Amino acid sequence: MTEKHLSSQFDSELNGVSSRVMELGGMVESQIHQAVYALLQFDTEAADRVMETEHRVNAMEIDIDRELSSIIARRQPTARDLRLLIAISKTTANLERVGDEANKIARMVKSIIESGAARQLPTTELRIAADLASGLLRTALDAFARLDTAAALSILKDDDLIDKEFDGFVRKLVTYMMEDPRTISASLDLLFLAKAIERIGDHAKNIAEFIIYIVKGADVRHTSMQEIESALQ
Amino acid sequence: MPNTVAQQPSRSKISVKDLNFYYGKFHALKGINLEIPENKVTAFIGPSGCGKSTLLRTFNRMFELYPEQRAEGTIALDGENLLTSKQDVALIRAKVGMVFQKPTPFPMSIYDNIAFGVKLFENLSASEMDDRVEWALKKAALWTEVRDKLQQSGSGLSGGQQQRLCIARGIAIKPEVLLLDEPCSALDPISTAKIEELIAELKNEYTVVIVTHNMQQAARCSDYTAYMYLGDLIEFGATEQMFFKPQRKETEDYITGRFG
Repeated sequence: MTEKHLSSQFDSELNGVSSRVMELGGMVESQIHQAVYALLQFDTEAADRVMETEHRVNAMEIDIDRELSSIIARRQPTARDLRLLIAISKTTANLERVGDEANKIARMVKSIIESGAARQLPTTELRIAADLASGLLRTALDAFARLDTAAALSILKDDDLIDKEFDGFVRKLVTYMMEDPRTISASLDLLFLAKAIERIGDHAKNIAEFIIYIVKGADVRHTSMQEIESALQ
Repeated sequence: MPNTVAQQPSRSKISVKDLNFYYGKFHALKGINLEIPENKVTAFIGPSGCGKSTLLRTFNRMFELYPEQRAEGTIALDGENLLTSKQDVALIRAKVGMVFQKPTPFPMSIYDNIAFGVKLFENLSASEMDDRVEWALKKAALWTEVRDKLQQSGSGLSGGQQQRLCIARGIAIKPEVLLLDEPCSALDPISTAKIEELIAELKNEYTVVIVTHNMQQAARCSDYTAYMYLGDLIEFGATEQMFFKPQRKETEDYITGRFG
């Protein structure tokens, strides 16, 4: 928000709540990194750290929502201010869900480590997909901070890459399970992990859609790439 | 999260074309083109001196009271140009009623405040007049508060009641258009809420045009909003659209409070 309101108090409230969203985003990003590290290094402590962060993420979501309600009640925001606040509310919910996915990964990693079955299974695709997903989330948060619709558009396009990795990984797991039924249990765990990573990409995509909503006033959820590009014209 | 709202679904009641208005040498309205939709509430917003009240006052030739003021262009009410009309200006004002910022009850009883205007245009029997007064007071949501004191002076009412009395007086002669010039600016929130309720009720039968400094009021009670600045009509559109995603940056800056 470069141009200032007549009320500088209103400006500082909007800037305040925006920077809280970035802070929440940073917290969730580090959860993903810890969760992926736990997965690749079979590190139980890293998994524990992810789970410890969860309550802080939840508390921050509630805090941000309270600030939003207060701003809406006192300022009666309109136009781009209104769109920003609605988008922040939805972005916050999406970030909290990303935190849930990271938490889910951490819990599954612990159970895989405890079962001792993981080391025979492939994790390359998971690592690639996790890098893609956390990269998308970081780009989405950067784009949100700068209200950059071009970056938002590139995220919407890149989300397909994660979906492709996911499909490839599922096919590969199926071959493992057919060759050796003893891997079925661990494979299913990995499948759920892959799904959690894929969901993180989806949340990044949602955030990208809210950026377009703020800047252009166009709701591009559930629309084709063509319609999104025409909204950005 | 609406993306687009259809513009102009209803018939236009007042059609303004290339309207210029001058206070002496001062050019107060600059080439205004605007269609006021029938049976809708249209709000004019903008900073002080933008011309919104001036525009409202051209709709019933209220400006003719002052010799230095003149209007050029067309203001067509149902197709007839009010500016060149040979009609008696009193008849125009019977069709296009007006309520002002400050309540202006006549120094007479509540009953006569309403009956006075009706008598100028219609020849009603005593019982018909009683019915008309009751009808107007009911429409203006004032009946239950004054039914037992119709013969008392109108100036004894509270500010909010006086303003509703003026609205009742305005609608008693059954105008087609009701112009409201800052009708709530002197009222408390409860009286304001009552008048906003009334505006919502009135639009079923009348075309309402309201000038307001209170943007939230425009957002709450109008169907269409016009934003004016320095005598220009900057943007006109469905209120929902104007307050969600205005097309012009000037409008957005004004309604979000970035105007300076």
